[in-house]
Amino acid sequence: MFKSIIYKEWIKIRLIVLISLGLSLLALINIFLKVRHDILFVDAANYWYSFLFRGSTYFGILKYLPFAIGLAVAIAQYIPETVNKRIKLTFHLPVSENGILIRMHAFGAAVLVTLFLVVMGLFTAGSAIFFPSNIINPSLVTMTPWFLGGMATYFLVALILLEPVWIYRGLYAVVAAGFVTLFYTSASIGAFRPVLPALILITVLLSFVVLFSGYRFRKGEM
Amino acid sequence: MIKISRYILVLTAVLVASIALPAFYWTVFEKVPRSPQIYYSCVTGDFIIADGNKRTDPSGKEFTLDEYERALPLLYFRQLMADGEMPDSIHGIKLEAPSISRASSFYRYTPRKLKTPVPTLYPMLESQSGKVNLAMPDDYFRIEKRMEFIVAKTNRINEEKSALFTDALIEEGFVFPAKIIAGIPTTRKSVDEGYFVTDSGGSLFHVKMIKGEPYVVRIETEEKLDIVYIEAVDLRSREFYCYVFTKNQGIFVVMDEVYDLQRLPVDGFNPEIHTFRINADLFNKCITVLGENWYQAIAVDDMYKVVGTHYEEWSGLYERAEGKAFASIFPFEIRMKDDNSAFIRFFFRPSPGYRWIIVNLVALIIAFIMIRRRGWAIGANIADLLIVGITGIYGLAATQFFPNKFTVNKQPNNK
Repeated sequence: MFKSIIYKEWIKIRLIVLISLGLSLLALINIFLKVRHDILFVDAANYWYSFLFRGSTYFGILKYLPFAIGLAVAIAQYIPETVNKRIKLTFHLPVSENGILIRMHAFGAAVLVTLFLVVMGLFTAGSAIFFPSNIINPSLVTMTPWFLGGMATYFLVALILLEPVWIYRGLYAVVAAGFVTLFYTSASIGAFRPVLPALILITVLLSFVVLFSGYRFRKGEM
Repeated sequence: MIKISRYILVLTAVLVASIALPAFYWTVFEKVPRSPQIYYSCVTGDFIIADGNKRTDPSGKEFTLDEYERALPLLYFRQLMADGEMPDSIHGIKLEAPSISRASSFYRYTPRKLKTPVPTLYPMLESQSGKVNLAMPDDYFRIEKRMEFIVAKTNRINEEKSALFTDALIEEGFVFPAKIIAGIPTTRKSVDEGYFVTDSGGSLFHVKMIKGEPYVVRIETEEKLDIVYIEAVDLRSREFYCYVFTKNQGIFVVMDEVYDLQRLPVDGFNPEIHTFRINADLFNKCITVLGENWYQAIAVDDMYKVVGTHYEEWSGLYERAEGKAFASIFPFEIRMKDDNSAFIRFFFRPSPGYRWIIVNLVALIIAFIMIRRRGWAIGANIADLLIVGITGIYGLAATQFFPNKFTVNKQPNNK
């Protein structure tokens, strides 16, 4: 049964996931073609200098991509469930209601984590051609909150979509917007290092919160 | 699990509220903090405080702009020369434009410089190339397990050069890795003096490259210094190489060529929270240490002997109306960014005093009434009330945003 549920979830999000993967690959190709071009034409030492001492990053194009992907996957996965309250059908299956929602959500989260890890892995591999760890590590620290923000967006948008009462959807959206903004605070390269453990912890905790509106949805809260 | 998920949401909302609401409050109500500039006049032999458009001496006597410029002839010599009012000599020393500008320098340290992400790669310029212009090298060095030069174009380590410099450092007793690397990594300076580096034992070294060869000097200090920040400067007077800030042993300058550490006459300087300024001219150096709502100005002569001090204090943020109101409404605030740090963190700032307890109590009463009106059991809402009691209006908003409806055990009584 869970295999079929996962298959159902995959059908809902596969198009979005493939488009996201395609866009991410295009972004990465763009990044490294640009780096290669600039190193050839501007001179490598100069290029390193602008990263080290002028704070210019070569990967800024990736900033809002995880946010967009998290948003799109959450919408693709949960909007169909709220149309005509279809998720209620799922909840009538002879399995625990929470259990089924947890598995749906875990599958979506796992797909996102995999996608993000692939993108960060390819980014690291590509960067290693041109830069030493002294440039790659701060770059990864700089972009980690962006990807965490993508995960948080997915978790919070799922929460908002499953909430049955419109006014509360609005209130959740206020909190979600305020929280996701934190991940995209502009800062110099590597400045997020001290706050990363706390952000990771909160993001992991937020993976549970869909249960809250799922519960309200089930109980037909109005 | 569902209940826990609600508390995760409530606490997230408290976090967001305690960042967003105070930020909004300060945007609307905060006033520009005072940041006076303090100079030492070689004419009056006293301090001059320039604060906005007001220029006074320590006794409060105001200066017009012309009087002010005449009192600081070394700072405004171009203006005074244009007006034909520049004195020929002061204290028996003939004043000439080149010597005035050579002796003039300004430097400022802020706690933000201490708490900022720093690069771990630096360019080692050739300091005696024989050319008039300095040139950027095509490699960058790092000092980790050894000193390594990485060629930017190939992203590969230059083994030969790395071994040369590593050996030179070891010979001087350097313990890898480096803690602080401070230099001026640009060609826009008058000469190259390389880098001032502390090793993992905290000892201070001077490292530069002369005709492709390493030049390493271990700088001896009388006592072990707990160095937290170094900033190299490019003084035209060539008086000293760099400023050295210690955790609580004061501020030093490393004298040019002789590597003597000269302690600046500043006591109680805390690099974590205090700002340091120095205005140097032909006769004096005027040092200012600034706290949040006070400054201490110290003037020294060219032998670093103190010739005058001045202290002033004004009301702090939480003593002013907007700060008092803030501390009454909000029990605390969380900031992602802090004026004293370039890092992103959750900076927790409790409000001083206890006036916020009143607002917290009011919030608690409102929460209590709302729970009663909805006919919810108080017992099941203890955690909510606790959150409101501690976090005040943040908690009140957060608990209302995410309704606690697991506990309906009697019908709402429509009063």
